Amino acid sequence: MILQGLKIALESLWTNKMRTFLSMLGIVIGVGAVIAIVSVGTGSTQQVTSRIADLGSNMITISPRIIRGQLGRVSGGGSQEKFTLELTDYMESFSPSVKTVVPVKQINGKLISDSINMDATVIGTRVDYAKANNYEIDRGAFISEDDDRERRQVITLGSQLAADLFNNENPIGKTIKINYNGRIFSFTVIGVMKEKGGSMAGNLDERAYIPLSVAMDRMTTHNYVDSFIAQAYSSERATSAVKEIEHFMIKYLEDEDMEQFRVVSQDEILGTVSSVTNTMTLMLGGIAAISLLVGGIGIMNIMLVSVTERTREIGTRKALGAKNKNILLQFLMESLSLSSLGGIVGIGFGWVAAYFLSQYGNWPLVISSISIIIAFGFALFIGIFFGLYPAMKAAQMNPVDALRYE
Amino acid sequence: MKKVMQIEKMTKTYHLGKVKVEALRGISFEINEGEFVSIMGPSGSGKSTLMHIIGCLDYATGGKYFLADQDVNNLNDNQLALFRNKKIGFVFQQFNLLPRATNLRNVELPMVYAGIPAKERKKKAIKALQDVGLGDRVNHRPNEISGGQKQRVAIARALVNHPSIILADEPTGNLDSKTGLDIMNIIKKLHEEGNTIILVTHEAEIARYAKRVIHLKDGLIDKDEVAV
Repeated sequence: MILQGLKIALESLWTNKMRTFLSMLGIVIGVGAVIAIVSVGTGSTQQVTSRIADLGSNMITISPRIIRGQLGRVSGGGSQEKFTLELTDYMESFSPSVKTVVPVKQINGKLISDSINMDATVIGTRVDYAKANNYEIDRGAFISEDDDRERRQVITLGSQLAADLFNNENPIGKTIKINYNGRIFSFTVIGVMKEKGGSMAGNLDERAYIPLSVAMDRMTTHNYVDSFIAQAYSSERATSAVKEIEHFMIKYLEDEDMEQFRVVSQDEILGTVSSVTNTMTLMLGGIAAISLLVGGIGIMNIMLVSVTERTREIGTRKALGAKNKNILLQFLMESLSLSSLGGIVGIGFGWVAAYFLSQYGNWPLVISSISIIIAFGFALFIGIFFGLYPAMKAAQMNPVDALRYE
Repeated sequence: MKKVMQIEKMTKTYHLGKVKVEALRGISFEINEGEFVSIMGPSGSGKSTLMHIIGCLDYATGGKYFLADQDVNNLNDNQLALFRNKKIGFVFQQFNLLPRATNLRNVELPMVYAGIPAKERKKKAIKALQDVGLGDRVNHRPNEISGGQKQRVAIARALVNHPSIILADEPTGNLDSKTGLDIMNIIKKLHEEGNTIILVTHEAEIARYAKRVIHLKDGLIDKDEVAV
């Protein structure tokens, strides 16, 4: 009987093609929008996530917190002085999930090449810095262990900085002077890094890298660094690495409330980013769902008109022996076919829209089966929900009145 | 002779707002198998009401109506639909064909609701259309054929489930007199083949085709005469 109702419904939809198409449109757009938006949301999240993961998803930064002075006085005993070099080995041996710890000394100075001088950040660090940041060499070499031990005044440039200082010339072998606190140091360029873009610590391409020993012993006389970068053995172990480091720092700094330092992992940033995009996706998806609802009301409207228009047909069918449930099923099947057909077309439409948007936004095309199931299921639900009232109206018609209807 | 239907002291009262309209005020008659009966009367005499009740489209207010030994007034909506499907074949003044369906589909419709399989349905529908002389119009739609042909499709549809009664309500009302004659000849032929026919009309000439004419007036039987 359901099959028979479906057949009658499809016949009727086929004979009223234009009306069928128009009433389907609302559902098509609604389902399409839901699928496209969810796809854009997941696609762009994946893009951002993979970019962040590229930076090294198992990377952890440990830096001192700036302690604010009370009532205008600078509070004594900032924690930065406690970030001494020997912490590197302590942290490494104390935290089993940590593979390496790299100290970072930041020097803000003026870089002077043959023709140009410009302000830049110079990073004094060790060879593991590049590895921990997934940072690759383009030409020449990154600063090495030997450079550090021998305190060689060599420098590796970020790609942007190399382009700014030397235009298109090959900078390797050239000399750069660094003006730091009024004193001038000269360095030989030994390498240029590949382009990398933004990271947790800022844009790596705009920086230069020198051996840590040079930065600490020659340029400054500090015995403390600015931060540490720790690399966990794997991204799965990043969370436990953070715990271990925190625990160590609390003990070491005698800082129960973690007021003097902070430990930030890439995972946390990932979490923040994906929670933001998830909220956006949910919100836009909700708006699209409302358009689905409006589409459903459109279907109800059309079905009500259709029932009134076909009152005589209903009367005739009843006179020929159609039971109330035959009529109910016929009209319910009609609205259900409308909405499911609209749903199927909408899935295709959303797919195409998502494809073009992904091309435009340069993120991967992700169509999640869950969004398809939910959008289609919702369309079916709307077909039944908004089709039920008109169908019941049709089914309950008195055959005598229906036959007499002009 | 076997009784097909029997009506006893049937009344039907409508309420139009506060006005009570007594359309039928106590009617009794019976019809035997194979009879050809006309129900005649001016408009407002209650013949449409009577036809709706005989056709199982409506319930009587009082009295009894037996069709195939069943008290129809005791049936629920579903059973009534089943009775319309199996026991009654309707021929309407307005033809009441589904405009967008083919003639074949229109004739098949009562069998669809009777649950007859598609193959058998098609065979029987084509046979019924051939019987009324429309074997070559099977796949036409109602808007592609003449009024007389439409009524013939409707007759084929009425016959196809082999009903106990063929109920024709002003079957010639929308046709010119020549086409009306054709239709009446088909109905006459159906009677000669043994079908029980009830014809509702207000035209004396049409009523005269029947062997028995029941005259209604103001909701009562005025005359129940057997033609010679």
